[in-house]
Amino acid sequence: MMKVVTVGTGMASAEFVQRLRLEGFEGPITMVGDENYPPYSPCVIPFFLAGEPLDTVYWKGSDFYERYGVTSRLGSPVVSVDPERRLITTASGKSESYDRLFYATGAKSWYLNPEWLDTSGVFGFKTLTDMVAIDRYVLEHNVTRAVVFGGGFIGVDAALALWHRGLEITLVHRNTRVLSQMTDEDGGHFATDKLREKTGINIRLKATVDGITADHGQLTGVSFSDGGSMETTLLIIAIGVSPNSEAMTGQDKGVTVSPQMLADPTIYCAGDVAITPHSVTGKDGIYATYPNAMAQARTAARHLVQGDGEYAGSINTNVLKKHIDFPIVSAGSFSGEPVTWQQGDIWRRVYMVEGKINGYLIIGDTRMSGYIFQLYRSQKRVDMSIKTIISSPKHDGYYREMLRANMINS
Amino acid sequence: MKKVFVDYKKCMACKACETACAIEHHPSHNLFEMLGDTKTQINVRVLGVEHEAFPLSCRHCSPADCLDACPAGAITRDETSGAVLLNPDMCKACAMCAMVCPFDAIAFKETHRAKYGRDVAYKCDLCNDRIKQGGQPACVEACHSNALVYGDLEDIRGGRARSGLKQYLLGKDDQMPPLLELFRELRRKECQRRSGGE
Repeated sequence: MMKVVTVGTGMASAEFVQRLRLEGFEGPITMVGDENYPPYSPCVIPFFLAGEPLDTVYWKGSDFYERYGVTSRLGSPVVSVDPERRLITTASGKSESYDRLFYATGAKSWYLNPEWLDTSGVFGFKTLTDMVAIDRYVLEHNVTRAVVFGGGFIGVDAALALWHRGLEITLVHRNTRVLSQMTDEDGGHFATDKLREKTGINIRLKATVDGITADHGQLTGVSFSDGGSMETTLLIIAIGVSPNSEAMTGQDKGVTVSPQMLADPTIYCAGDVAITPHSVTGKDGIYATYPNAMAQARTAARHLVQGDGEYAGSINTNVLKKHIDFPIVSAGSFSGEPVTWQQGDIWRRVYMVEGKINGYLIIGDTRMSGYIFQLYRSQKRVDMSIKTIISSPKHDGYYREMLRANMINS
Repeated sequence: MKKVFVDYKKCMACKACETACAIEHHPSHNLFEMLGDTKTQINVRVLGVEHEAFPLSCRHCSPADCLDACPAGAITRDETSGAVLLNPDMCKACAMCAMVCPFDAIAFKETHRAKYGRDVAYKCDLCNDRIKQGGQPACVEACHSNALVYGDLEDIRGGRARSGLKQYLLGKDDQMPPLLELFRELRRKECQRRSGGE
């Protein structure tokens, strides 16, 4: 009977395994991962730090391995994949053979000064191991103030989680606005100002943390590139991530896959390590969001069991709405003719190219974001109606369009 | 699989569906205890669009984009009833579901079912307990004008096709009671008058 092994125990691997079982696969499955936990949701783990129960991070249940008849080999990362001998080896020297491999190792935090992590009080913010360590550290050291270095999605998430826990936060970001990848200049400034106003988080822009001070291996403070320093016993570094593709390719640039999610005739690859085409633009890239990982894992599982199916492509849509009720939604790319609408805390902008949505930003309110998403994904021509849609006073653009079409038809 | 079907032309915007839904989902199941309670959860919303009214709620799509987008394991489907259900104990209010829902059927607030002192996503649950006991969703039961009907797609589609054909051949709409027709005409005129029309 065919033996399936997953490298990684993250969201893509868990979905893949669950789907295999749902599709009727009865062969042995082994999941190999570097952390000692059941599959957990990286989107949820900051809520543990914000004070919510640990149990809720196991989004497919804490009994996942037993429920799906999986042998788990945990605690050591896979360091090499040998497709010829169909063998993987972990850092602790153990090896595992496979007939089909599912490689979904995700990404890891990237550090400019990795040696800082040797100091007690300096943490990354990516894994459940990180969260548990930060939680313990905050409790043991009675931490009341923290510096978060990096104002991307993960950095802002970290800052808000710790802010929600009651800590005084300084967020340091080198760009002119936070969330600089998922916002344009105007939207980013709007979001940054609102986040500042709503949380009181001290956001320090156009700056980096360029040094740390320690006493007997214990963090005591940080210094900033724009001058000045601050006493703190907790520093979170979230300045970037890189895909865990070394074991497959020797480099950390991701893994190229076929439309069947195959990186090699016997190796499927999915999730934040896989390079896939964008479903609208066709551009290859790593589109690291949960819905993409799910669709990729399902494509792979179906292909393994039934031998057919292709991946429809990824979409770079994301939303940050965590710990406060102030969502920031974005998708596509921010070029083309901008159409903007703002009212109070709500700010919307759609970029139009050839009458179709090329990208959009919806800040402060999720209403209508799903409709805009569907218009973007389907590349429907909306140049005549887009202004009305984003500015409908009751945020009822979809229903307005639908009833209007109905009235014309009848 | 049965669903709630909307015939918006029959909606009189009386909001009986909203009230019934709120009572059904309130811990007290009582109108008077619900009054002034900010945690009251209403899963259906009557939207006014020009002179039309549309009772908006979850369509329990299949496949459901929200279910595929939820990274917290909070959204599941009841395979027996087809209902797409949201578990507030697991929900982190991250808005991934709302970001992809074409119908704006998911909203956020601190409801009675929210456990952690913050907002959660909430949406129509098709009154899953009621329908599994052979009943109807509360909104459908409360709708006096048949704008909301709980039934099988094939039956509804067949009925609509028959009446569409009748209307085409005989020129009369047997689905629309004359009084409702009159009400709609009045509402359309009033709407036009207010917007400075005729």
